[in-house]
Amino acid sequence: MSMQKTGFYGVLLAIIVAAPFLFPDFSTQLATLWLFIIVAMTWDMTGGQMGYNSLGNIFFYGTGMYVAAVIAIALVYDVGEYTGAAGGGRYDFTNQQYITGFLLGTLGAGVFCAVSAFILGYVLFGLRGPYFAIGTLGMAIAAGELVSNWDWVGGGQGITLPVYAGDFDQTKLFIYFAFAIVGVILFIFLKWLYSTRFGAAINAVRDDEEKAEAMGLQTLKYKLVTWSLSAFFIGMVGGISAFQLISFEPLESAYQTINLGIFMVVCVLLGGKGTLWGPIVGAIMFQIFKEVTWNYFLGWQWVALGALIVVTVVYFQDGLMGWLMHKKPEWFGVRVESKDDTVAEPAE
Amino acid sequence: MMKTKTVSLAIGALLASTAIAAAADCEDIRIGAAISLTGKYATNGVHTQNGYEFAIKKIAENGGVKMGDKCYNFKVTYYDDESKGDRAATLAERLINQDKVQYMLGPYSSGMTKAIAPVTEKYKIPMIEAEGASRSLFNKGYKYLFAVLSTSEQYLASAVALAEEKAKEAGKTAADVKVAIAVENDPFSLDIRAGVMEDSKKAGMKVVIDEKLPRDLSDMTAILTKVKLLKPDLLVVSGHSKGAATAVRQIGEQKIAAPMIAMTHCEAADVTGNFGASANDILCSTQWAETLTYEDPIFGTAANYETEFKAAYPEYAKKKVPYQTAQASAAIYVYKDAFERAGSLDKEKVRDAIAATDMKTFYGGIKFSDAGNNIAKPMVLRQIQDGKYNVVAPSAFASHKVNYPRKPGS
Repeated sequence: MSMQKTGFYGVLLAIIVAAPFLFPDFSTQLATLWLFIIVAMTWDMTGGQMGYNSLGNIFFYGTGMYVAAVIAIALVYDVGEYTGAAGGGRYDFTNQQYITGFLLGTLGAGVFCAVSAFILGYVLFGLRGPYFAIGTLGMAIAAGELVSNWDWVGGGQGITLPVYAGDFDQTKLFIYFAFAIVGVILFIFLKWLYSTRFGAAINAVRDDEEKAEAMGLQTLKYKLVTWSLSAFFIGMVGGISAFQLISFEPLESAYQTINLGIFMVVCVLLGGKGTLWGPIVGAIMFQIFKEVTWNYFLGWQWVALGALIVVTVVYFQDGLMGWLMHKKPEWFGVRVESKDDTVAEPAE
Repeated sequence: MMKTKTVSLAIGALLASTAIAAAADCEDIRIGAAISLTGKYATNGVHTQNGYEFAIKKIAENGGVKMGDKCYNFKVTYYDDESKGDRAATLAERLINQDKVQYMLGPYSSGMTKAIAPVTEKYKIPMIEAEGASRSLFNKGYKYLFAVLSTSEQYLASAVALAEEKAKEAGKTAADVKVAIAVENDPFSLDIRAGVMEDSKKAGMKVVIDEKLPRDLSDMTAILTKVKLLKPDLLVVSGHSKGAATAVRQIGEQKIAAPMIAMTHCEAADVTGNFGASANDILCSTQWAETLTYEDPIFGTAANYETEFKAAYPEYAKKKVPYQTAQASAAIYVYKDAFERAGSLDKEKVRDAIAATDMKTFYGGIKFSDAGNNIAKPMVLRQIQDGKYNVVAPSAFASHKVNYPRKPGS
């Protein structure tokens, strides 16, 4: 890695670590920004790099929430009793129980989601294009309805987790860094993954799946592994979100198809599909746009969001990164011969 | 030119402000509130906000909040939580961290209150709420949460008692009473269900239908068909305004003849105005009724509150002022009382003053238990009789006799 690049990543890491200390009042919004970055990057793994546009990735977010919460509770109490006691009884965690529950729950959520993506993928990867998008959307909606009628996990009441007994500011820092660590690991992992043969293979699936298959690629295997990897990370952040929100319910917080489920796609479209930085830039732009419109154009926020999506889809189909790549290819290490040379040649 | 305009505007504003009562010289006490202005709770979110604003204006007209020789007016910073819990929790943090509010008002619905309460609790910010009735809010050991309303298990308890009474009058026992329950699958309505289940089990009644309705409550024909077949003696429906509207409309359409139908949110959904005779003889639980004999020096009697509120908000002229509005006003009133007793803006002192509240208001008595719920005010049950809401239970407050069995569309 060149000096310049090392310096760039060094500064970036310093900003990530310092941000919640510099802006302590904004640490929740910063944590949410990480959530958006992570879900956008994971969505781009299948949507951008592999050409499979899933509208149901929110399934892994919601499932991650529930799995993490259930594991954390099950370590200490009987889950049915805990959720059934929405009308009575008090349950607390000691700090030790909270931390153990958090770590095991979040990790368990990731593993559970990865396995379910592998199994669901067998059925859903038989579908392509818009059918895959609608199929995955259906899966997420169905899961939300099922969970909201499953009393063992609280049904429509949802789950209220015990809170960390210590200092609240500490809890918020803890949540921020949990998100940030997952995000940084995901970035390093994807940077490496996209540079390997595996990355080239999933790009081949995107560009022409039949041809890729004809070349001897076992496309289903690649698709399953990619989706499982992405589900693993979404499941983990879902788990962290459960501890951040404390109280959540199935339809509006966990399986929120029309909110986060769509926002993650919008983030990627804004930033640029199929690029490493696109989803990150898109998520930051989206989060800023959202905070501004939701605060200063109250009542018009959804109209503004709709307009943003329309403008992006119509005029900037490649997103910001794609547009930049087109305008300033030299920034991305692409050498373009000067116009004069190309024009001059045929004249000879 | 520009300058003269600004100056004249400023003078105009100055003149206008001196014309308003003396309370205009008071300083502001800022309170934060995340409230559902859009989304599925929007109707009741607006009722709540109107209740807050009406009380603030009324208190300002009466000299504001007096502390020593100073006076204050309330000023609320609102955000829209879009009827989403995760949004509500984030907004609560924003109000506390970025807007630096020291006191909070509750959102609409138990679900939103559940999402916000852990946040206000952790920051030790007192929150007086008027719209979260779920029992589960008051068993978490919260110290900074106070609710002026009665908890959800009391909503339809009188309806179950009434069904038992009527069965005995007919020479039957409680065991002969068949109960049908249809509630929305959301925290508040599930709590209503839990209350009715408990009461009917205690009385030995049979629950023949126990259905949960999806969140988007626009159709309950399937359940009503079941009701027609199983002929329960008491049908209980709960699902906020949308649930009440759907239920009354389809009960009329399907000519459901259950002898007793009880539900929540009749006034908020304006079922008499919207569905006329279909709503006849339906029992509605209410936190408050304008016919009750409650009174206080700021708002006057309950009836006076309704008259003045309608004058201030003409859009309510043709319907009942929903109790959601009255209790929102009561929450503001508790704040005024607590600030004056605390004699300080210190949030801990204000919290302690709120905890020690014991007052009579146009909304009823207000006194908080250690858990933070109001234990000084009963729920009442009204029946829609010829388009009018008449109190029929509990007997201490009843102004009319209950019509039994129900005559649909008479």
